[in-house]
Amino acid sequence: MSSHNNENKHSNSEDLKDKFTESLEAFKLRAELLVANLKEGGDDGYDHSTTTAGEKGLRSGKVSELTVIAPLKEGGAERLKEILKIAGGNLKGATRVGTLHDLRFVFIDDDTRVLFCTAYDGDWDPYIDDFATKIPELMDILFGNVKGWPGIKDPSVKQFILDHQITAAGWYVGVPHLTVQDIRRHERIVKGVNKALDEAQAN
Amino acid sequence: MSNNNHNKALSGLTDKWQDLKDEFGNRIEDSHFESWLEGIKAEVGDGIEMLSRRARGVFNPNLVTMQLEDIQSIILRERPTPYYGTIIAFKVNEAKVGRQMLAQVLPDVTGSKEWHKDMQATLSIVMTYEGLKALGVPQSSLESFPESFKAGMARRADKLRDFDINDPDNWMAPFGDKGDIHIGAAVIADSKEKWQAKFNELKETIKAHIDYDNPANGDIEILMEHDFGSDDNVKNVFGYHDGISNPEIQGSGIQTPPSHNGKPIAAGEFVLGYEGEAGTIAPMPQPEILGKNGSFMVLRAYNSHVAEFNKFRKDNTDSEEEAELLGAKMWGRWRSGAPLILAPDKDNKALGDDPSRNNDFGYKDDPYGKKCPFGAHIRRMNPRDSKDFILSDVRIHRIVRRSVGFGEVLPPDVTEDDGKQRGLFFIGINAHAMETVEFLQSQWINDGNFMSLGEEKDPMLGLHNVKKNGGDKDSDADKFTVPADPIRKRYHGIETFNTLYGGEYLFIPSLSALKWISELS
Repeated sequence: MSSHNNENKHSNSEDLKDKFTESLEAFKLRAELLVANLKEGGDDGYDHSTTTAGEKGLRSGKVSELTVIAPLKEGGAERLKEILKIAGGNLKGATRVGTLHDLRFVFIDDDTRVLFCTAYDGDWDPYIDDFATKIPELMDILFGNVKGWPGIKDPSVKQFILDHQITAAGWYVGVPHLTVQDIRRHERIVKGVNKALDEAQAN
Repeated sequence: MSNNNHNKALSGLTDKWQDLKDEFGNRIEDSHFESWLEGIKAEVGDGIEMLSRRARGVFNPNLVTMQLEDIQSIILRERPTPYYGTIIAFKVNEAKVGRQMLAQVLPDVTGSKEWHKDMQATLSIVMTYEGLKALGVPQSSLESFPESFKAGMARRADKLRDFDINDPDNWMAPFGDKGDIHIGAAVIADSKEKWQAKFNELKETIKAHIDYDNPANGDIEILMEHDFGSDDNVKNVFGYHDGISNPEIQGSGIQTPPSHNGKPIAAGEFVLGYEGEAGTIAPMPQPEILGKNGSFMVLRAYNSHVAEFNKFRKDNTDSEEEAELLGAKMWGRWRSGAPLILAPDKDNKALGDDPSRNNDFGYKDDPYGKKCPFGAHIRRMNPRDSKDFILSDVRIHRIVRRSVGFGEVLPPDVTEDDGKQRGLFFIGINAHAMETVEFLQSQWINDGNFMSLGEEKDPMLGLHNVKKNGGDKDSDADKFTVPADPIRKRYHGIETFNTLYGGEYLFIPSLSALKWISELS
């Protein structure tokens, strides 16, 4: 009985020691990061902290990340590569979505799986129904190569995507407070102001 | 032709004749009817225009593909003008008695078949998820309801952006966690007499189940009784003609006055069990008799701060005329209902009153929002053919609105609150109403990105927080941009002119579903 107690005591103090060393490790890491940030980092005045983008995914300011790894159908990689080659980087349907900062397809595991990553503005979930009625063909051409893809019009499609989504461990956005629309609007304003200034100067 | 058949044909013809007589003045796109209609027109003369105005729609029996007799009238039928009514909320303490009550009121619940007939008082019955449970709906059926409906509106506050002053913690009883609303009933009529008669009938029917001395001990408990209505034709408490634009539903047979939206919207967007815009039938509550021909309702109870709205207009403008224009820019319509697109400079009462013209416009010719700002309430809620900055399908975010106001209209020049309660029960109906309203609340009301407006919110329905939270008066979210020549005007410090004090997600069962529930054991 007493030896048992001793054992407990022993393991408790081991635990404590573990915890202490662990937090010491974490403390050291924090200190290193802080020093590195102080020495090498800058401050742009933006809030770069992250929150959750919904059930899965991270969000920084207005920009969220979506990372999916999914198995491909037999020959799916070839077809998808061909489609992307034909598009030559120009996915007009994706441009129309209006909230996409970027997206990429990466083939992994000998072309048996695809890694799909995108950065987009705000909420993704409420717009899935819109994709289903506005760009169903594009969605199904791209993702129809994924094993088990239920089709964009299928009510289970949201769950299918969630099932294959992996939340990023880290997420940093350079200008977290600007949406694609903000950037486009700001560009128009700058162009307009410069045009007005050029005209004023010419007169 | 046998005598029997002959009689059948004759009675069919008489029925059609009956239809016509009941709704003369309404345009029917069928050459056979057209000539009859002309005859009636010649007989009644100018009165026709008035009648068609009242009907605010046309019923064409040839276009019906839905089971109108099974669909509650509140889904497909416009509320009358003027209107009088009461909303009652019940709690069911005894499942068996709850079902008995449903069976008793069932004959009075109004279907949609008689849409075009002379407007009678209507009774509508809706229920919450907790209500379905309390009535003893089996577990397998309960599970087949959408997750958002099961959670209830209060628990979807994140999705609805109901924060701060609109937070469910600040709601009034009996909404959300402040009560247990199980069943809602609404009586609406176009005259005080009809409303009172139908309402008294209902009270009489349920009397036996209520313990008036000790309400909580009754088998059925009345949690709330709230009268509403408007003598003043169709004005909301801000003094604006509203409820003008409602979607036309394919297969309902009801043709709305001309609007820009082109072809009718698929039935499945509004009623369960029919094909939606995506061409598929969405999952619905099971068994089919429970789900089909039903729909969902989102009820949101708002207190309207009309004096603050008037004060905001006054403080930000130099003349009464300018203040009126600012108000119109915020709504997108003038007080009469005349849309800014068709009347950009000043109100036009004849236009506002005319249902054949007041909704017949698009935004294509106003690409910079100089007539109607992108941020105006009606442009946000139905962007029609506005350029889409973010890909969205305006057809799947339409909602049937059956909103009703309560309290007196406050005149435009009053800027001091009189302490009286006035506001609006927003009632939105859609086969996936929870999703639709959560979309509208988060994307189109409390954000501006979809119109490339940054964080700007809906000036009338958005959650603004200047004073309440000691917020930044120049906060992006509390501004309102009005494109103009030579430069845009920007107004700062918008307040929450409509604050939420409660709400519920409700199921609108079909008449056969009500019967099915009432017969459970």
